[in-house]
Amino acid sequence: MSQLNQGLTLFLSLLVEATPFLLLGVAFSSLLAILVDERKLIAYTPKNPVLAAITGSLFGCVFPVCECGNVPVARRLLMQGAPSALAIGFLLAAPTVNPIVFWATWVAFRDQPAMVFWRVGLTILVSVIIACIFSVQKDLRPFLQPTIARYLPAPATQPEPALVGSGSTLLQGGDFLLQSTGTLKLDQPMLATIAGAAVLPQQSWQAKTQAVLEMMLQEFRELGAVLVMGSAIAATVQVAIPREWILALGQGPITSILAMMLLAWVVSICSTVDSFFALSFASIFTSGSILAFLVFGPMIDLKNISLLLTTFKGRAVMYLFVLAAQLTFVFTLAVNLYTSW
Amino acid sequence: MKRTFPWPTFWDMAALLLWGLMLLRYWWSGRLAVLLHPDYHWLAIGAGWVLVLMALWRSVGLFQPQTKFDTGAHMALLPRQWSLMVLLAIAVFGLIYVPRPFSSDAALARGIADPVGLTRSQPRRFARNTPPAERTLIDWIRTLNVYPEPDAYAGDPVNVTGFVIHPPDWDDHYVMVARFVLTCCAADAYPVGLPVKLTGDRAEFPPDSWISLQGTLFTETLDGQRRLVIAPDEVLAVPEPKNPYEF
Repeated sequence: MSQLNQGLTLFLSLLVEATPFLLLGVAFSSLLAILVDERKLIAYTPKNPVLAAITGSLFGCVFPVCECGNVPVARRLLMQGAPSALAIGFLLAAPTVNPIVFWATWVAFRDQPAMVFWRVGLTILVSVIIACIFSVQKDLRPFLQPTIARYLPAPATQPEPALVGSGSTLLQGGDFLLQSTGTLKLDQPMLATIAGAAVLPQQSWQAKTQAVLEMMLQEFRELGAVLVMGSAIAATVQVAIPREWILALGQGPITSILAMMLLAWVVSICSTVDSFFALSFASIFTSGSILAFLVFGPMIDLKNISLLLTTFKGRAVMYLFVLAAQLTFVFTLAVNLYTSW
Repeated sequence: MKRTFPWPTFWDMAALLLWGLMLLRYWWSGRLAVLLHPDYHWLAIGAGWVLVLMALWRSVGLFQPQTKFDTGAHMALLPRQWSLMVLLAIAVFGLIYVPRPFSSDAALARGIADPVGLTRSQPRRFARNTPPAERTLIDWIRTLNVYPEPDAYAGDPVNVTGFVIHPPDWDDHYVMVARFVLTCCAADAYPVGLPVKLTGDRAEFPPDSWISLQGTLFTETLDGQRRLVIAPDEVLAVPEPKNPYEF
């Protein structure tokens, strides 16, 4: 009975502490999705792969999204002609490298402020490395789902003008949308298409507010449910599994990292609140393994694999997964073995 | 034409409202202290109000025809009804259930009897200048962490409050007076405590009851380790404090 009480108190305390951060996260990601125009940002980003990767991984500071919000944004970035290094860097780092997650991690690990900096630093390092590896593949289209890939330019060809003169339409292949302002060619880069489209619809601010609230509600509903399940798992693990087992697992420099990475992958808890989850293991598990949880979890987990698959082909998701897992493992193992922290 | 009742909007509203009320209820009933560090109470309370306001916004949709907004970017992982059901169920449960602070069993399960576990806290502020009689349990543990030699503190006056633990391996004159320490929320609570040598039998102070002790410290070998033990002059049973944790 006392164990049940303990478990429920733990569960509720995780929920109560995490809900404000979850709300903040969904509020920001909804606001930005509706209000910010990524095309302008892309226009100012560097083309050099390494610089683009670094820029992309820091984009999270402007788009505070968790790992559920980053896939749609990364997809929009790709479709609007962002370099692949930028999009991949963003995809992997944005859920961690943003002010809300920074704050939440700071709150959770007040006793160990170093954890915050390790988390952010390591995430940027891993993301930049993976983004650079992906940037070697000049044409990202074979990695993408066909529906996305057709929006991307082939690397060397010049985009055609978007609005084709009425006379030549019949002579060109492809998908066309007939509209009053002219004929819109669909199967060409999104950027060119949008640039060519006459006027973008302007929404009133009421409509925008309504849309932001609507999106917040949608995300809260869904991520709230995931948070509930994550908290339930964390509470159960703490209460139900004998302490000796967890200690044995949590004190080994290698086993602890593997266990926490597996846990991060399975639990799929949102990055704005995962530091509270990790906190409940912080007293028993090695610092490196907690770090592995905080770095790897937001990059790839069971939940966002299904999201990634809406944009990338299975093979590319596999590469991302394997690379992220290996790099996280190696770096956090180094933290465990070579730092006294 | 009769308009059908917008059930989906209603359930959205109910989930937001109940979830918000759950957070606010812990605040009103004072139980928030059992779950969270006081520094972060405002966050939970703010979130509660935001959720209630969102519920109000949603309730407007009950009375006027809804325009459908396409937020496009969103992809559902769980069917909407499932998520709603989970949220509603937890909110109802949270509104009914009264969270209890951790008990002595939890402290034992987390290895309180073992002084090695105490090295976890990394104090940002070292309260060495606090006179011994004013040190709380956590102050004592931090002091011991910095300079662990028990003999250095023998004879010091002590005045602490905590709950009672009966460690199973100790004989009937010994109890432990303990507190849970929080840095953020109950998820990271860890127990700290000092052994107490009673003059009578420990049955007088059942586990989980709260006591306030005045006495002096001395050194004794317990479980094969030399430890600092409280010799109480006075032991008073006290009610559970409003905030059961130390920070």
